[in-house]
Amino acid sequence: MVVRFVLQFDRISLPEDSPALRAEVREFLAAESEHLARPNSDFGTGHDPAFSRKLGARGWIGMTWPKQYGGAERSFFERYVVTEELLAAGAPVSAHWIADRQSGPLLLRFGTDAQREAYVPPIARGESYFSIGMSEPNTGSDLASVRTTAKRTGDGWLINGTKLWTSEAHRNHYMITLVRTDAPSDNRHAGLSQIIVDLKNDGARIRPIRNIAGSEDFNEVVFEDVLVPEDRIVGEPGNGWQQVTSELAYERAGPERFLSAFRVFVELVRAAGEAPEPQLAAAIGRIAAHLMALRRMSISVAGMLEDGQSPEVEAALVKGLGNDFEKLLPEVARLAVPTGPGAEHRRFRQTFADTLLLSPAFTIRGGTREILRGVIARGLGLR
Amino acid sequence: MDTRQLLIDTAERIFSDHCDKAVLDAAERGEFPERLWNVVRENGFHELAMADSGVDLKDAFAVIRVAGRHALPLPMVEILLANRWLQSSAELAVIGRLEGDRIADVPWAGNAKRALGIDWEGADGVSTSVSVEEIGTARNVAAESRDGLPVMAGAQPLGLNEPAFEMLALGRVASMAGCLERILELSLQYANEREQFGRPISKFQAIQHNLAIVAGEVAAASRAADAAIDALEGDRFALEVAAAKARVGEAAGIVAESAHQVHGAMGFTHEHQLHHFTRRVWAWRDEYGNEAFWQERLGRHLAGIGAEKVWDFLATRG
Ligand SMILES: Cc1cc2nc3c(=O)[nH]c(=O)nc-3n(C[C@H](O)[C@H](O)[C@H](O)COP(=O)(O)OP(=O)(O)OC[C@H]3O[C@@H](n4cnc5c(N)ncnc54)[C@H](O)[C@@H]3O)c2cc1C
Repeated sequence: MVVRFVLQFDRISLPEDSPALRAEVREFLAAESEHLARPNSDFGTGHDPAFSRKLGARGWIGMTWPKQYGGAERSFFERYVVTEELLAAGAPVSAHWIADRQSGPLLLRFGTDAQREAYVPPIARGESYFSIGMSEPNTGSDLASVRTTAKRTGDGWLINGTKLWTSEAHRNHYMITLVRTDAPSDNRHAGLSQIIVDLKNDGARIRPIRNIAGSEDFNEVVFEDVLVPEDRIVGEPGNGWQQVTSELAYERAGPERFLSAFRVFVELVRAAGEAPEPQLAAAIGRIAAHLMALRRMSISVAGMLEDGQSPEVEAALVKGLGNDFEKLLPEVARLAVPTGPGAEHRRFRQTFADTLLLSPAFTIRGGTREILRGVIARGLGLR
Repeated sequence: MDTRQLLIDTAERIFSDHCDKAVLDAAERGEFPERLWNVVRENGFHELAMADSGVDLKDAFAVIRVAGRHALPLPMVEILLANRWLQSSAELAVIGRLEGDRIADVPWAGNAKRALGIDWEGADGVSTSVSVEEIGTARNVAAESRDGLPVMAGAQPLGLNEPAFEMLALGRVASMAGCLERILELSLQYANEREQFGRPISKFQAIQHNLAIVAGEVAAASRAADAAIDALEGDRFALEVAAAKARVGEAAGIVAESAHQVHGAMGFTHEHQLHHFTRRVWAWRDEYGNEAFWQERLGRHLAGIGAEKVWDFLATRG
């Protein structure tokens, strides 16, 4: 038997008209410098509702969605251009990020007309923010093991259990919560459902958890007999597993999966000056060579998605490679920047420190490195 | 089907038929692969990069990549580009590095009628006849012929009007991309076939993860090579080659290391075919500039354009 390598990364480029849009975003960012005081390319850093509303007003949230629901009916490629420009500039995007990337598309695909009308337009305006309620104290990589339950009562869904690591739950408006609506059975993926929880009004207890960077971005969300109305369920009861897995390719191959540490690179180039020593130049070149390849792979996946394919394995591969690179970048940069007397490089050191403290999460959130490698191995026919 | 795919499929078929382990072993013992060379000529592959070949230069590099998949023991990069620059395919001509009045790292100099010496810095070169008596034979780590010879009296300046050195480096990039793909395939196949502890070793998570890493590197190398090939004849070609040679070279080390680990002792034997491929990527990553060389070039360029413009550089080409 001859084994052929099956993974495909088509030679796709962004469309010709993307420079105009790109220029528009850059102009916008230049004018909004007050929001960019401490640039950070990590999509999970920088909660700035005023900035999100400005993006919404420009039509840059929900870009690919139907106009009927506040979208702009633009292509995935155009969305790609906007998101990568925002991340590269280190703009504060965390408020609307999940709603734009995940929750909006989920509601458009599986939600009722009433849900779409109620929830989607405010997302596109940059006013309504969503969290992902998947992980729990005893549920991490093994997502099908969730224990939070929702029971149908005469008045709606009665939720009990605890969600953990819920990013931005203390700041956001809603959480799409993965719950068991049926008791566990032999089919581990059956009996799961997604329910919209109003984080401000439904009575879930939200406790922020300090991370190693000293900030409070993720939370514990406790449900004790929290009752939510019947019409908060998304899609058919029991269809939760299909729904959470359906958007994985979108979630995994975007530019946020290799750009989290990008500002460190910018500061490395600044610290290097115009004519760096060979080793320092080589560090810059090494990082750039990785970035160029990763970006093209990521755009290939975007193209395959636009094409209607579902490149699940390719997306996992780009995320895995990209996340490892996000950790490599600061390490390469750190050793390249001169130390010692006269070599202060404060901007570099600040940006490096900010990123280093976030970096452990790069290979954990959104599917750990090990889980992704398992997905790739399956794609290679090894499992 | 487009021309490129047609060429790739044809090359794939012909190279599979005419390049096996016996051919590779003989070439590595120093026997010129005469039969293979005849097949290549009969099919016109040696003329693919010539201006009047009717084939897009990019497609010629796609064929070089297929040659890499097969570890073809002919210097396809040097043959194709020598014929292009000489505007003739009448005799076997090859290429090496011009160093003053000598040319180094020339493949199969003893079998060639003509050798081109390319200057790494100036992108120019000479074309000289070959005097068999004055050849110093040498090999790279893959036992590929890399001879030294003098520039003879009567040698002609080449007068190149394209970035010759970068094109040669691109040749190594394309060859490595093909070769790396093959190394992954060999490793997948071995992992599925070899059994220990009562099951195929592919069922062990450590093996799966190593191969997932290899797949990532191979995919990145492949995409980087495609991008550099697409950049041929464009204004950013030299920088795209720099990025690709740096990235693919880095992948080569990781892939070769892991492939050997997965193959155990069997992969360490001369009898197994793995080493024909791993030794080649080890050799090729160092030829026409290693990773550090190209990283530095790219890095110097980026430092020159400055921190506020690096993103623009990265985002300008899809
Ligand atoms: C910054 C940050 C933000 C997050 N935000 C959210 C959020 O908004 N909403 C949400 O629901 N979750 C969120 N998460 C949680 C995230 O999804 C989980 O951390 C992730 O799924 C891994 O789960 P875990 O942390 O419990 O690790 P575990 O699953 O306990 O894994 C621990 C280690 O074991 C390894 N491991 C586990 N299983 C296997 C296996 N089968 N084979 C090999 N190795 C294995 C893992 O790779 C990891 O290295 C966030 C996490 C972080 C760090």
